[in-house]
Amino acid sequence: MKALVVDDEPLARRELKRLLADFPAVQVVGEAGNIDEARVAIASLAPDVVFLDIQMPGGTGFDLLDQLDRVPRIVFTTAYDHYAVKAFDVNALDYLLKPIEPERLATALRKLEAGVTEPTARDARLDQLFIRDGHRCWFVPLREVSLFSAEGNYVRLLWGKERPLLGRSLAALEARLDPQRYFRANRSQIVNFDFIQQVELGDGGRLHVQLRDGPEIEVSRRQARLFRARATVI
Amino acid sequence: MVCLSGIGLTHALKLFIRWHAWLSLPPAAMLGRVAIATLALSIASYLLTLGMSELVYGSPVAPIAQAFYQRLTVGGQLRNQFIYMVIVHGGWVALYLAFAMQRHRYRAEVRQAQLGEALQAAELRLLKSQLNPHFLFNALNGLRSLIADDPTRARDAVTQLARLLRYTLASGDDDLVSLERELEMVDDYLALESLRLADRLGVERDIEAAARGVRVPAMLLQTLVENSIKHGIAELKPGGTLKLSARVAGGQLLLRVENPRPVDSGGEPAGGVGIRNATERLRLLFGARASLHLDLSRPGLASAEVRLPA
Repeated sequence: MKALVVDDEPLARRELKRLLADFPAVQVVGEAGNIDEARVAIASLAPDVVFLDIQMPGGTGFDLLDQLDRVPRIVFTTAYDHYAVKAFDVNALDYLLKPIEPERLATALRKLEAGVTEPTARDARLDQLFIRDGHRCWFVPLREVSLFSAEGNYVRLLWGKERPLLGRSLAALEARLDPQRYFRANRSQIVNFDFIQQVELGDGGRLHVQLRDGPEIEVSRRQARLFRARATVI
Repeated sequence: MVCLSGIGLTHALKLFIRWHAWLSLPPAAMLGRVAIATLALSIASYLLTLGMSELVYGSPVAPIAQAFYQRLTVGGQLRNQFIYMVIVHGGWVALYLAFAMQRHRYRAEVRQAQLGEALQAAELRLLKSQLNPHFLFNALNGLRSLIADDPTRARDAVTQLARLLRYTLASGDDDLVSLERELEMVDDYLALESLRLADRLGVERDIEAAARGVRVPAMLLQTLVENSIKHGIAELKPGGTLKLSARVAGGQLLLRVENPRPVDSGGEPAGGVGIRNATERLRLLFGARASLHLDLSRPGLASAEVRLPA
C-alpha cells in the first residue's frame, strides 16, 4: 500500500513516517508540505492512501480534495480540527488526532487494507469523487451514482437519497468516467448502466430509460443508436 | 425676580455638584458639603433679593413681602426673609438631591451589572483563547517526534511548555506583570512555535531597556504574537519574520508587533476575537489611557500597536 504524507510541519511528517515504519505493508512513497506539492505528488506517485493535514498554508486539506480528479483513500490527521471533519458530512473517512496513537493508527490501517485488497472495493475506492456542497462534504463512489445532470456549469449527482452538486462541467466529468459503465443519454445527462431498470421505445427512435429508484430519462435519437449497440454488448 | 434668581442659583449649584461628582462621595461628606453650599446659596440669594428690592422699591424688603410682615419691625422682616430663603432653597436642593441620588444609584447599579457581565465574558473568552488547543496538541506532536530525533531539544521544549502553561493558568484578567516577564513567556512560546514552523518563522526583537520594567497586562503581548503567527506567518508558505518592538516615549509604552500575512486574506479580519478581547481588557484596566490598534491597511502586512501608560 503506497502512502503519501501531507503536513506543513516537518516534525509532524517525521513523526508519522516513524510511526508508519512499524507497518511493513505500508510504503511511504512521498511527502508534501502544502497542497500544491501534494497535488503534484498524488499525480506522479498515485498513492493508495493520503495522510492529510487540514490546516496548511496556501490551502486546507479540503481545498486539495476539491482539486483532485481522482481521490485516493484519505485519512485526515489533525491536532484539533476533527470538529471540522465531523461538522462536514464526510462519509467513508477516517481521521487521526495528533499526537497519533500507534494503536489508533493500526486500526485505521487495518480498515484501509481491508478496503484496498478487496478487488471490487478497490475499484470503488479509487473511483470516488470528493464533493463539497455548501457545508456538506462527501466522498462519492462513482459506481453508486445513478445519474449525472448538467446544471449550468455544474453537475447534479443522483446518489441514493443525496443530490450533491459537483463544481465541474458535465463534459469535464464525462472525460474521466468509464465508458463501459456510464452513458451519455442526451445533451445534459449521463446515466449509469447499472441503474437502468427498464427501457421503452419512444417516438422517432428515441428511448425512455427508467432508472432504479430514479426518474425516467429520455435518450436522444442520435444517442439511442449508440445505446442499442452498447446494450447488446452488455 | 426672586424666583428667577433662586432658580438660577440652584441650577448653578446642581452643575457644581455634578462637576465635582459629589454624588459619588460618602454620605456624610456629601451632606456636609451640600449643607454649606445651600447656606451659601441662601445668603447669596438673600443679599441679591435685598439688593434688587432696594434698587427697585427703595427698601430692602419688597412691598408685597411687607404686606405679609405688617406687624414686624424691619429687622424682623429681614430675619424672616432670610429664614424664608433658607427654607425655600434648602427644600429645593433636598428635593433635587433625593432625585439625583436615586438616579445615581440606579445608573451605578446598571453599570455595575454591565461591567460584571463584560468581565465574565472576557474571562471566559480569555480562558479559551489562552489554552489554544490547536497550538497545544501540535506542540505535543512535534515534541513526540523530537524525543526520538533530538532528546536535548525535546527536554528544553518540555520545560518551555511547562513554563508557558503555568504562566497561562496563573495569570488572571487584571494581572499586571513587567514587560520583561511577559517577554520571557513570549520567548518560550516562540521557541515552541519554531519547532513546528522550523525555518518558516523568523523573529526580530527591538526592546528598549527602559520599556522592560513597565507593567503590562499578562498575556497581552502573547495574544498579539499568537495572532501574528496564526493569521499571518503560519498561513504563508515561505513563512516570514515577526518584528517585536517596545519603547517608552512621553510617559507611554509603545508596543508593536508586525508580521507579513497573505495578501488575499479577505473575509474575516485577521484575529478578530483575540484583538477584541485584548482591546476590552485594556479598556477595563486603563480606560482611555490605553489603546490597541490593528493596522491592516497595507497589503500583505499586519501591524498591531498598543499604547499604555508607562
